[in-house]
Amino acid sequence: MRKALLYTLLVVASLVTVLPLLYMVSLSLQTEAETLSAEAVLVPDSPQWGNYAELFARAPFGNFIVNSLVVAGVITLAHLVFDPLVGYVFAKFRFPLRNTLFVALLATLMVPFFVRMIPLYVLMANLGWLNTYQGLITPFLMDAFGIFLMRQFIQPIPDDLISAARIDGASELRIYRRVILPQTRPALAVLGLFTFVFQWNEFLWPLVATSTPEMRTIPVGLTLFNQEYFTLWHLTAAGSVILFVPTAVLFVLTQRYFVRGIALTGLK
Amino acid sequence: MTARRRPRTLASRYARTAYLFLTPAILFFAAFFYLPIGNVVATSLRTGPQADQWSGLANFGQALADPAVRHSFLVTVGFSVLVVAGSIVLGLALAMVIDQPLRGRVAFRVLLLVPYLTSVAIVGLLWRNILDPELGVLNRVLAATGLPQQQWLNTAPLLTIAAVTLWQSVGYTMVLFLAGLQGIPETYHEAAKIDGADGWRRFWRITLPLLAPTTLFVSVMAVISGLQAFGQAYIITNGGPGDATDLSVFHIFNVAFRTRDFGYSSAQSVLLLMVIVAFTLIQLRAGRRAEVVY
Repeated sequence: MRKALLYTLLVVASLVTVLPLLYMVSLSLQTEAETLSAEAVLVPDSPQWGNYAELFARAPFGNFIVNSLVVAGVITLAHLVFDPLVGYVFAKFRFPLRNTLFVALLATLMVPFFVRMIPLYVLMANLGWLNTYQGLITPFLMDAFGIFLMRQFIQPIPDDLISAARIDGASELRIYRRVILPQTRPALAVLGLFTFVFQWNEFLWPLVATSTPEMRTIPVGLTLFNQEYFTLWHLTAAGSVILFVPTAVLFVLTQRYFVRGIALTGLK
Repeated sequence: MTARRRPRTLASRYARTAYLFLTPAILFFAAFFYLPIGNVVATSLRTGPQADQWSGLANFGQALADPAVRHSFLVTVGFSVLVVAGSIVLGLALAMVIDQPLRGRVAFRVLLLVPYLTSVAIVGLLWRNILDPELGVLNRVLAATGLPQQQWLNTAPLLTIAAVTLWQSVGYTMVLFLAGLQGIPETYHEAAKIDGADGWRRFWRITLPLLAPTTLFVSVMAVISGLQAFGQAYIITNGGPGDATDLSVFHIFNVAFRTRDFGYSSAQSVLLLMVIVAFTLIQLRAGRRAEVVY
């Protein structure tokens, strides 16, 4: 009895979260007439796979995809290179101004993106970097959260491992790459996943920093496409499916990492 | 002599390595965090189309007296309160259900978490379609079943965009609460059971107090993200109807990039940042007092 109630609750809640996304897929396969008919179509009579081709014909959707891959990909790589390196330094080195620099780093966690939005726009305009990849990418190359996560992860690695490698005459860079990095793989997986998904979905900065359709990422390109062709909901839905599929696939393959990663963000 | 000097040179060699490794990060945070923060403050003290004429605190005075700015701030606070309350109530309720020994809980956890992965662009576009008074699937289904049609985005716009935001984020808060629940030692519940406390009592006297750090973290995160919400207004409502959903960051965006008043919009950013920082510090201080030791 109690179990039945709990299952009912879970099923209803899951329907609320999943049905809208399934409807999005359905919408992407409907004819324009079906999207406008008085009686709502939930399962299209004959799936219109051609909608996807039409979307590419109407908007530079290929560009959007390439732009999103380049921007999210480069930012993720940069995080994977720099966050563990900086985390390692704060975890294992003693040097002048260490605490000051660490506090200055953590303080950036309190600075939401909208605060940087206007000055970054002016900076990029002065550099001539608006509407370029470097303009889209550089503001996000590292962040304090990723560095903090890696520092927490590296701290418990025994100092003896590092000392032993130093006695063996290994260079500092070699110690980092051969001793430290291999031990951080689980944390790197979480960091890479989260960074990629967040950057893939990022909306505000690509909206501000791009001016031609050819430079837009998928979220921005899709939204502005929708504003232009307001009632072509089947094409908007097709674009949404394209935007969603990579993150959904990544998530299904790695959901354990994801859940652990979220729980990790809740730790102090 | 050499014996005394050696440790010092070693230490300075490590310090050199540390700074070598840190150089890219120092340059990055200087150029893309501290320089912009300095610039936003500098711009907030200036006026004119190029934001290059010194005007002291005039922008701040104007912002504090501007009914549109005040209104959008109140809208944003209302939105954040709705999102925080919903995150705590729904997130905790779902976490408690999924914490039960049920078959298929991993699958349910996945299904509830899926919207968290969607871009705000998907959330916005999809729900604008679903909720559309004429074209929306919800109203077409209601019409087909003979039920009265609804115009949520006109009658309760703020509540509606808060609900849409929760649709996306509730799986995330659920996972946070789930981690918190699983950190409460089982012995507390067992002891209370032996003392004859019923489920409701155990929830209020054990679960909720011991979850305080998680609840605090969830509310800090929800307030911070609520105060910065942008896409919901930009995509779903365009700030409307009227100015009913003119969220602060959307308002700042419009002043900056549509009106092109960088001085005035920078001042508004600085004000909102001050609110967010103050709020975070207050909540963290309250949290230190509520710290639980098992």
